[in-house]
Amino acid sequence: MLQYTLRRILIAFPSVLGVMIIVFAMVRFAPGDPAQLLAGEFADRATIELIRERFGLNEPQHVQFYRFVVGVAQGDLGMSTRTNRAVTADLASYFPNTIELALGAIFVALLFGIPAGILAALRPNSPFDLAVMIGALIGVSMPVFWFGLLAILIFSVQLGWFPVAGRGTLTHLVLPAITLGLSSMAIIARMTRSSMLEVLNQDFIRTARAKGLFGRGVVMKHALRNALVPVVTVVGLQFGALLAGAVITETVFSWPGIGRLLVDSIRARDYPVVQGSVLLIAVSFIFVNLFVDLVYGFIDPRIRYE
Amino acid sequence: MSESKTGAPTAQPNAAGSVAPRSPAGPRWRRRLLRNPVAVFGMIVIGFFLLVVLFAPFLAPYSPTEQNLRTTYVPPGVGVKLRGPDGQWGIWVHPVTRSPTAGVRVDESVAHPVRLFVRGTQWTWFFGLIKSDLRLFGVDGPTRFYLLGTDEQGRDLLSRLIHGAWISMFIGLISIAIGVGIGVPAGAISGFLGGGTDMVVQRVIDTLLAFPGILLAIVLVATFGTGLTNVMIAVGVASVPIYARLVRGSVLQVKNREYVEAAAALGRRRLSTLGRHVIPNVMAPIIVQSSLQMATAILFAAGLGFLGLGARPPQPEWGLMLARGREYLAVAPHVATFPGLAIMFVVLGFNLLGDALRDALDPRM
Repeated sequence: MLQYTLRRILIAFPSVLGVMIIVFAMVRFAPGDPAQLLAGEFADRATIELIRERFGLNEPQHVQFYRFVVGVAQGDLGMSTRTNRAVTADLASYFPNTIELALGAIFVALLFGIPAGILAALRPNSPFDLAVMIGALIGVSMPVFWFGLLAILIFSVQLGWFPVAGRGTLTHLVLPAITLGLSSMAIIARMTRSSMLEVLNQDFIRTARAKGLFGRGVVMKHALRNALVPVVTVVGLQFGALLAGAVITETVFSWPGIGRLLVDSIRARDYPVVQGSVLLIAVSFIFVNLFVDLVYGFIDPRIRYE
Repeated sequence: MSESKTGAPTAQPNAAGSVAPRSPAGPRWRRRLLRNPVAVFGMIVIGFFLLVVLFAPFLAPYSPTEQNLRTTYVPPGVGVKLRGPDGQWGIWVHPVTRSPTAGVRVDESVAHPVRLFVRGTQWTWFFGLIKSDLRLFGVDGPTRFYLLGTDEQGRDLLSRLIHGAWISMFIGLISIAIGVGIGVPAGAISGFLGGGTDMVVQRVIDTLLAFPGILLAIVLVATFGTGLTNVMIAVGVASVPIYARLVRGSVLQVKNREYVEAAAALGRRRLSTLGRHVIPNVMAPIIVQSSLQMATAILFAAGLGFLGLGARPPQPEWGLMLARGREYLAVAPHVATFPGLAIMFVVLGFNLLGDALRDALDPRM
């Protein structure tokens, strides 16, 4: 297990480095003077020169990159050109909100996705199975922002059950979490169904049935535990994808998370914050994946010897 | 053919070629596909979408950009009657105006019939090659018929939706072209050659895959600027790692098969073996992925449009239209509803086809 863990961690490092290169390159490839981009549109000449000096923008690219990496390691991502706050401070105040939303979404996705997948697998090709599968396809095909708007229109504007936007109480979380979790719910339902179907056709289930076990006992005790193993991976990957999906959902519901921060910063050409949010989302995604791999290696030892 | 290193006679590599199975499942996959009702439904949706793309100006009753500030936010179906002034059957429309103070007003004293194949304003299509003023349907008279209502600038929503179809279509195709054009060779070479090349390509793919979902496209748009062209490129590049990983996996499965070894034994060059014997045998997942990619690309592009990072006004891009409708959701919900429905149906069509193609091409998947 230790060897497997170390190997996985080693594989994650080049990705983190790659992400840093891309984030570093964003400002350098964007049209215009990098110092001007980092200082903001309305910065005066002195500020621009200060930024140029601070990030070493006159120096060769590899020196600049080294400075950037050192800065990131020390938690220095520059200053927001809009708010004049440290980027790390902005990220620290917005990121927990995104985590909250993503956790809510994954909860919704699991709550409905897994039971739907199990029930569909127990009666393959039944009307219920068909409904779940079609529902899942509609779920992945529906534009998140459209579903969010419809949800606001029906449940907030018409029925008044939930607040229209913002963050605060649990009622604020309901619609954004369902909206964000919708496609994950669909994917989890499909994965649970196919995994369950596969397990239900295996010998040990046949043995259990032959020994006289019927109904729920077989499903819950024997099949489900095995069927959920691949679902764990999907859940992990989905959690990472939700961090990116939050970009749209947060904009729809004016949720003060990192996704909305990213979009607002792109619109305002606030490059330091854009860099910081992209870096944070991508690195979180890498670590979530790493964690999922480790958990997967733990519950299914065959993976470790791949 | 005759460029084999060992100078083998030209006939032999051909013989090696005939060892390779033709297409993954032969013509049977087509029958399987057509027998699947889900696939047929998907194809009907896509076919309808293609017709709309091809015949947009003929199908759209009005220009997508023509404004009329006296008819903003007209809800669908207002002023439309199924009986004419003399009690005759047909679709008749009364002139409708809307002002912030007086609201929607229908002038019942005037009515004009809706007819098929009417002459409207002149349109050009296919870069000016086709010019006409014929439209599938329209009002025989000076009144306007807003089947799906109007938006915040009084533009006909149906016409905008119809004219927006090609944008989605085009984004999807360009994205597939970029994804296949870069991702397939990268993945194939990486998987086939292995070793150091594989290492490097894999690390690049891993890095790109660290940007989940729409994030990579957002990063590219944030770097190179917004606008439709950049969105197409961004969505395309975002699909490169997916193709590359997919093809690499398939190539790894195929590369040790007998027919590949036979080609190598006969002295065929490695890259030529890859092109002639390996890639044709990993086409099935590429085709499946392309159908699904079409769906993803349309969703991503609409998402970028919605975020204000994609197409710019007054382009009738569906995501952008939805974003505009969002601001007036309580007043005119139809403005956001119809573009969303359009996106969903087209995406659903490609997802259904992709799923069905996967079942048909490789029942084991």
